Order: sequence, then structure tokens, then C-alpha cells
Amino acid sequence: MSATTNAVVFTGDDPGDEMTLLDILDHVLNQGVVLRGNVIISLAGVDLVYLGLDVILTSVETALRHVNASALSPGK
Amino acid sequence: MAAQLINDRRVLYLYGITQSKPREIPKLVGVDRFAPIEAVDCEGIFCWVSRVSALDFEKNLASNMENLDWLAETSVAHQRVISAISRVIEILPTRFGTVFRSEPSLCKHIAKRARGLKQDFERVKGADEWGIKVFAIQPTAVPMPTARTGKDYLKAKAALLPSRKPKSIQREDIIKFEQALANVATETAPAGNVSRGQRGLSFQTSLLVKRTQRKKLESVLEKFAGEWRRERRIECTGPWPPYSFVSRPDDKVKAK
Repeated sequence: MSATTNAVVFTGDDPGDEMTLLDILDHVLNQGVVLRGNVIISLAGVDLVYLGLDVILTSVETALRHVNASALSPGK
Repeated sequence: MAAQLINDRRVLYLYGITQSKPREIPKLVGVDRFAPIEAVDCEGIFCWVSRVSALDFEKNLASNMENLDWLAETSVAHQRVISAISRVIEILPTRFGTVFRSEPSLCKHIAKRARGLKQDFERVKGADEWGIKVFAIQPTAVPMPTARTGKDYLKAKAALLPSRKPKSIQREDIIKFEQALANVATETAPAGNVSRGQRGLSFQTSLLVKRTQRKKLESVLEKFAGEWRRERRIECTGPWPPYSFVSRPDDKVKAK
């Protein structure tokens, strides 16, 4: 169960806890023992996934920043 | 579809490696949510695998990983399996998407890495990984000004959002925090870069902490959380299997 004490949020101590997808991806895609199997891990593919996630995460932020910038521009 | 399943070869999807086999193997299904988990004995090193479709996990792995829905479901399943095994026995978790065509090829590769794996087992013995993130706390909600148009509403909403690097964050405080964590941990590692774009994220790190030091870690977190109550929120996830402390700097080059 997730617990909050003061301003610390603890997650994951209980088998029923759901880690966030971002935390899971951070761990399972980027870290861990790397063994070269017969099938070669496509790191280029992983990089594309990172790019995709970053684009999703930042696109809303970027859009809002543009709106914000236009709000601050004189004459607009 | 049925014909495809019949003709589809099975390959071994590897989750992690242990030094022994528990009496009872956790009853789990693997990343395809169907095949059970097995422990393959490679001369005393146990490799935790499930037999999965070669089409999905060999031929189409790269393209499947670009499908965020597939990636989300499969990576969560990967983590659940490793996490369940780690509750029973210490495991070196393998990176997502490590697939072997046969047991002999798996054991051959394990034999080549045996010495390094033994060192890794020593390195992470009795310890768990913890993920730490510090976020700037967003200012408490203020009443939204009346917006006549959708554009006005978005402008007003954007003005309320904190900038990506909040000015209130003082670097010295973060350095003190980092040092306090390093005193409790046996090792620290840079956190993964998937979540680095999270709004308000000021600092993140991964820690390898002996189980005997867990209370001390909690004390450090509580202390800083108390000091930062109104400015920052600390998020702590774990215990994780030691993902960030078993890969080596040259692994990426080797894997290419």
C-alpha cells in the first residue's frame, strides 16, 4: 500500500502496490544484466521508444509553454 | 491465428539469474500472460525463463517495443515476475527483451559471464534498490480567473504551472540530501531516463541499500521531507530488485 508520511510518498513495499509505468520502464528498459542472446537486443529500438515517451511527456508541456509565451508577448 | 500459433517457434525469455533454486517455484505466468515461469539449471546458476512466441519476442520485438500499449503491458509483466521471484530468493534481474533460442545457447552465454555474475551477486547481497525523486510542490490552487474563451482558459491555466526548473530549488539543499542518502547507501546510480521529463522533477537517484539500513534511509527521507514540507515532495519507490547495480558500462557496446 502506498503511504505518505510528512511529504514522503513511499510506494512499492507491498505486493499489491502498483509502481507507476514510468518507474517500471525506467528500471526494466534501461537497467539490468545485459546478456547477448541469439537474438540481439535492439538498442536502437529502445532509443526510439525513449524518444517516443519523451515526446509524449513534453508535448503537452511545450504546447502550454507556447500558449504562455504568446500570452506574455506584447501586442497579442 | 490458430495456425500461426501452432507454427510459431518458442524462444526463452529470460527474467533473471539466481544462485540456487527455491523448493517451491512461484506460480507465475510470464510476459505473454500464458506460459509459466521455469528455472533452467545452467551448471548451478539458475536462469528464470518462460517460453514465448518467437514471432512476438524475436522477429517483431523491436516493432512491438514501439507500440506503447504492448510495451506497457509487457514491461509490467516483466517487473511482476522478477519482483515475485525476488521475494523468495535474491535475483540479478535481466534487462527487458533478453531472449535466447535454446537452453544450450542460454547456458553457453551464462558460462561465459559466470565470473562477473558471481561478483554481481556479492555486490548486491542483502540489499535492495530504492528509487528517490524530489519534486517541486506546485503552488496551492488559486481561483481561476473567469475565461471567456477556451484560449483565455488555457493561458490562465498555463500561467499557474511551475516552470520546468523551479527557481525556488536551492542546489545546496539537494547536494546535502544527496550526501545524506549516499551515507546510508552502499552505492548510488543515476536514475533511468524515461521519467526525466516529469513536471517539477528536481532530482532523482537510485540507491543500493542494505536491508539492515532501511530504517536509516526512512529517517533521512523523513528529515528532509519535514524541512521541505512546503517546497518539495519526496517520492520513494522500492524495494526494487537491483536493476541499476548489475549492468556494466561496457554492456551497451557488447549488446549492439
